[in-house]
Amino acid sequence: MSSLTSAVRDLQRDLENKTNDLSKLQKDIAKNHQVRKKYTVQLGENELVLKELDLLNEDANVYKLIGPVLVKQDLAEANSNVRKRIEYISAELKRLDATVQDLEEKQNSKKDAILKLQQRIQSIQTTKGKA
Amino acid sequence: MEDTRRGTVTSLASLFPVEEAQKAANRVQGAMAEKRAELDHLLGFVADNNNLINLVHKLPEELSHEIMVPFGKAAFFPGRLIHTNEFLVLLGEGYYAERTSKQTAEILRRRGKALDSQVDSLEAMIKDLQAEANFFGQTIAEAAEGLVEIREDYIEEDTHGEESKSGPLKQHTSDLEKTEANNEEYTRMVARLDELEKEEELAAESGNDNEIYEQTTEDVGDISYQRHIDSEPHNSEDFHKSVSPVDQSNNKSIATESAEKHHNPDIADQLNFASLDLQSNVGEGKNAAAKKVKFVDHTGKPLIHHEEKTVKATTASKSEVQHQPSQPSFDSHKVCLPFIYIARIHIH
Repeated sequence: MSSLTSAVRDLQRDLENKTNDLSKLQKDIAKNHQVRKKYTVQLGENELVLKELDLLNEDANVYKLIGPVLVKQDLAEANSNVRKRIEYISAELKRLDATVQDLEEKQNSKKDAILKLQQRIQSIQTTKGKA
Repeated sequence: MEDTRRGTVTSLASLFPVEEAQKAANRVQGAMAEKRAELDHLLGFVADNNNLINLVHKLPEELSHEIMVPFGKAAFFPGRLIHTNEFLVLLGEGYYAERTSKQTAEILRRRGKALDSQVDSLEAMIKDLQAEANFFGQTIAEAAEGLVEIREDYIEEDTHGEESKSGPLKQHTSDLEKTEANNEEYTRMVARLDELEKEEELAAESGNDNEIYEQTTEDVGDISYQRHIDSEPHNSEDFHKSVSPVDQSNNKSIATESAEKHHNPDIADQLNFASLDLQSNVGEGKNAAAKKVKFVDHTGKPLIHHEEKTVKATTASKSEVQHQPSQPSFDSHKVCLPFIYIARIHIH
């Protein structure tokens, strides 16, 4: 009997740990989603900028706001900068996607493990009750 | 007939518990409110954009404008706005471009178009949510009313209208052997049908029949057997059985029984265009029972109403339709016979 109770206690501690891990995973996934949203918005904005820059004449003046300073920039330079930024953001998005997939898989496996633990605890408790 | 029927009666309330449906409806409402707030936000942007375009148009009209220039948080001083045709337009991501007023207006217009497309997509989403909310509302009302969903296996029966076989539609002659179990009912039905046939021929094209049709419950299939129904409630079950007119030989053996089916082609033909029911081969005076297969799914409810209306409209054309050979309809509908069908009946 006492061995059973200690087994149950162990299992319950295990269950607590697993649930903590699960909640951490879920928080990570939520953060990931947020960051992804931000990046998606930035990507959209950069694409708009690129479109407008393409419509500009060669001699048009382009300025970049760096802190409180508006700095004159070369059109070609601005173009290449925006393009590079777009590539960087897309790469980041892909990386985040992979991470989120990974996290979701881990989350699912944790959920399964928790379920199994719960079932074991229940079965032990029922046998204890019968005995 | 009913005891041989294998069916399940499930109250809608059990399928869609009221509380859960309520919760789902609330959830949808919440989502809709969110989207509406976003929509308002976007519409604000659109308004601002339009105002800006007007301003950008107006400024170059003068060489310089006399204005009050804000100075700090709480002061202004009089000043002049010069270079009225030069605009530094924010392209995004901290990039500015020097443009004239016309070019600025172009940029703003393009931005306005992008905003409009966003607004459209939001509105489409809101519409979808609205439809979902409606569905939930309907289900809640139905469940509260105590509507019952009756699901019965489709059993094909050649010799008897009452029996139906579960499983896919099988067309074979072995059905004939099933008559032994149903002989009693069969003979009873045959006799009744003979009666009704005579009655019907007398009544022919009158509102008489139509009254009967209109008295039916939601299940249109009950219509032609309405007279039966009053006296022999069990017959109402017949309509839930669908039998494909499998073999002409089989059909001939039950010729008399199907005499009453004259009603069926009328309704069936009316319903044909709804393409939801399977009409038995009545025109040829064959087949046991009314074969109405109503394929009811989510669209069931509106469909049933639709059918009711069509029935009510059948008055004049009914007689003409009556003795039409429904062979062609039979053939075409052979294909669309489903396994099971669902009928909804109000239980008060």
